[in-house]
Amino acid sequence: MTLPLALGTSSAHRLTAKRLLASTSCPRRFSTAQNEPHEECDVVIVGGGPAGLTLASALGSSRIASQNLRVTLVEGGDLSKVKQWSPPSGTYSNRVSSLTNASQTFLKAIGAWTHVDTHRTAPIEEMQVWDGVSDARITFSASEIGLERPQDGMARLTENFNLQRGLLRHLEHLPGVRLIERTKVKSIIRDAEDQGGWPLVHLDNGRVLRARLLVGADGFNSPVRSYAQIPSFGWTYETQGIVATMVHPPRGPFQGPNTTAYQRFLPTGPIAFLPLSPTVSSLVWSTRPRIASALTAFEPGVLASMINAAFRLPEISLRYLYNRIIEAHSTGTPLTHAELQQEILWREQSHAIDANSAYASAIVNVIGDAGVPAADSESVPPLVTSLQPGTVATFPLRFSHTESYIGEGQGSRTVLVGDAAHIVHPLAGQGLNMGLADVECLTRCIENALEQGGDVGSYTALLPYARERYFENHTLMAAIDKVHKLYTTTFEPIVWTRTVGVEVLNELDSVKTALMMTAGARDHKINESAVGWNLAAKGVESLAAGVNAARVVGGGIREMIGTGLQEVLKATSARPRSERD
Amino acid sequence: MRVSNVIRTLQRQLHSPASRGTINASEIAHFSRLSSQWWDEQGEFAFLHRMNPVRVEFIKNKLLEVSREGGEEGMPSSTVLRDLDVLDVGCGGGLLSESLARLGANTLGIDASESNVKIATLHASADPKLRNLTYINAPAESLLDSPKRYDVVCSMEVLEHVDNPASFLSTCAELVKPGGHLFLSTISRTPLAYFLTIFLAEDILRKVSPGTHTYSKFITPTELISFFQKYRSSDSNAVDPRYLEHVTLPKAWISPNASPASPPRTEAEVRGLIYHPLRGQWLLAPRDAWAATDANYIFWVRKPSQ
Ligand SMILES: Cc1cc2nc3c(=O)[nH]c(=O)nc-3n(C[C@H](O)[C@H](O)[C@H](O)COP(=O)(O)OP(=O)(O)OC[C@H]3O[C@@H](n4cnc5c(N)ncnc54)[C@H](O)[C@@H]3O)c2cc1C
Repeated sequence: MTLPLALGTSSAHRLTAKRLLASTSCPRRFSTAQNEPHEECDVVIVGGGPAGLTLASALGSSRIASQNLRVTLVEGGDLSKVKQWSPPSGTYSNRVSSLTNASQTFLKAIGAWTHVDTHRTAPIEEMQVWDGVSDARITFSASEIGLERPQDGMARLTENFNLQRGLLRHLEHLPGVRLIERTKVKSIIRDAEDQGGWPLVHLDNGRVLRARLLVGADGFNSPVRSYAQIPSFGWTYETQGIVATMVHPPRGPFQGPNTTAYQRFLPTGPIAFLPLSPTVSSLVWSTRPRIASALTAFEPGVLASMINAAFRLPEISLRYLYNRIIEAHSTGTPLTHAELQQEILWREQSHAIDANSAYASAIVNVIGDAGVPAADSESVPPLVTSLQPGTVATFPLRFSHTESYIGEGQGSRTVLVGDAAHIVHPLAGQGLNMGLADVECLTRCIENALEQGGDVGSYTALLPYARERYFENHTLMAAIDKVHKLYTTTFEPIVWTRTVGVEVLNELDSVKTALMMTAGARDHKINESAVGWNLAAKGVESLAAGVNAARVVGGGIREMIGTGLQEVLKATSARPRSERD
Repeated sequence: MRVSNVIRTLQRQLHSPASRGTINASEIAHFSRLSSQWWDEQGEFAFLHRMNPVRVEFIKNKLLEVSREGGEEGMPSSTVLRDLDVLDVGCGGGLLSESLARLGANTLGIDASESNVKIATLHASADPKLRNLTYINAPAESLLDSPKRYDVVCSMEVLEHVDNPASFLSTCAELVKPGGHLFLSTISRTPLAYFLTIFLAEDILRKVSPGTHTYSKFITPTELISFFQKYRSSDSNAVDPRYLEHVTLPKAWISPNASPASPPRTEAEVRGLIYHPLRGQWLLAPRDAWAATDANYIFWVRKPSQ
């Protein structure tokens, strides 16, 4: 530009010249802070878990984002192993997530879902949730909530590896995304102030990435969150989650397919049975740490028997059995599968449970399968006959939510998604879905910022993400936490009402509502979901009033709850769907 | 003799850049004090950061509309600014300039405050992508001395701070290429604007430093439109007055017989900028929304192309 004017001040001139110098050489630059060469990146994603890989795919497949942004993903683990993952047929990984329709719709929109092996996934068409003390029960199905395609279920059980492998395959076609695997982020340092204070990501192989936007998709111990100094609050539940892949006979010809998920709320924590194929299902059993370590200490048959018992026996007998195995575990006395089965048989006899009832598990009647099943056979999951070797694992369960999703001040140009921002109890199967909803929203905010010439690392560009997601996640997390607390309490008045069933049905209603809120394919606009939640809350309130009245009249409670809740759910799931643009 | 002296002085004043200046010295000092805060997105200028995307949206949409009228179909909205010469008058810390440069425009930001230009330059130098962006510290009038003209001239939230709006508007208008665009955003002179910008923002909420605004300097949309109904481009290679009667006078930018309340859509447009407190976002009010232009508004006018 030839203007008859002085170019700013001398210092401004120097800066401009420096910039030009940098641009004519290569993307490597020397920062004044470190005097180390570094690579200029637009978006650096730390973490190649489901959330990080989905974000990379979403940005790589977005037209405007791929035209404008260089995306780099750094993962400490071996992603090529995940990419080559090919389990022997009939075997399943123990890390399984129920992907809601909203999550699937998003994965389809970014073109990743076609790379997921859907033969390895299973729809949940029905859910049965009941209270371990009172046996009050709620059943809900995909057809009842007005989904467009009830046969696709309310959610689809998908192995985390299957999803991650699909995302990695999708990423092969996206040249705008670079993966750096088997490389850990060692430290993150803020660039000099006169260089804008952008984050400099130091990798353990000596490379340094300068990030316009640094995304923490790096899970619970998020190094990005530490760099951004975003505090988080939370607690560990005195609970471990046991996962395992369970093998069982197929449902008989007079029964439905294996598409019903079961969850029983025991005072020690919920146990869930999640179908993967006609003969394989996934276990998530949350229980006290002492019980969890005892359950997993003996031969796998012991855990299998206990799983069957935990879905069937009255709570008092379960307590007896826990004590039995804890004692054996602490004294180092061996406990065999056969001994445990004998104990279970005695408990069944003392409760007068008929050996042909679906509630009996001590004598596994394998030939009985071909015959007419017991009338109550569909109120409990199929009997587990074995556990797939090597699939039993335990995780500590916790609640954790960061105070913010975007870094400010010294931690600017950072944003958190997925478990780095929030961790919930798995009882509602929402952890990963929340992370995917984060990614969807963040992608949309980045696209909007690019459309408007914004700086994708700026607070202004990221603020809509935080506004939209924080409230929605918080509401869901609070509901899940409340349910967990209510069911694991031993506080007398609550336990009393639980046996009466009123409180339980109400609370099961909120569980159901919590689950259903996310069941349909829908967008994640804050105002609409707020409306949904208010509606749901109102529904539960008026139901509570109705229950009290009904109790006086006597009977008919379940039916009433059922229809009342259906109204709420129809109202909330019938919202218009929005298209990704 | 005395009379001719006066005339000569007047002529000198008219032609020397210094005396054509429209910038008020105390205003410059005020913004210099604030300029280090320009890029604190949660600080005093938070509202500008939030408003910026909406302004860019308006600029893009207007250019898109015009390019569609000109028969250019299917241009994606993100490329409409690519390779255009854009001037941002009163660029401040460079909020708008950076956005326009990112959208591909060859952008020149100009500001009378030296510290603003320093801040803007420093900020842009950290961003390896902003290579098509230059800043200069000078009054806009000084650009008239160069023959360079711009496809788009913007001046956002500046008009309400200048001493001689008519002269300032003429300067901006003169810097536009024939067929080019002028975008202005400012605050209207209405009781509502007084209430929002001075009483509420400065005095009560202290969101904006007291002294930022002077009510009497606010300009209404009608005043702007009337200005461009009278304004005719005077080209620098002006026609020799002896041949004046042989050429047609340049067209007014807005048809003089149109109602100032609703100028022809192809010539000019006024849209309100409204803050949505629940979303924490600025929104572009729908066209002709009632009272929408009573406070912050954005104005577009196009220079006739002949
Ligand atoms: C028992 C159990 C059952 C669950 N069931 C469900 C369910 O049914 N439905 C559901 O939606 N969710 C479920 N969840 C939750 C779900 O598994 C998590 O929410 C999800 O895996 C989180 O994904 P993420 O990508 O955010 O984080 P992660 O999967 O934790 O990924 C973080 C990644 O970052 C990498 N990383 C960390 N630090 C560094 C570093 N310094 N350098 C490089 N890389 C680094 C790690 O290697 C890791 O790969 C369950 C969780 C548990 C424990």
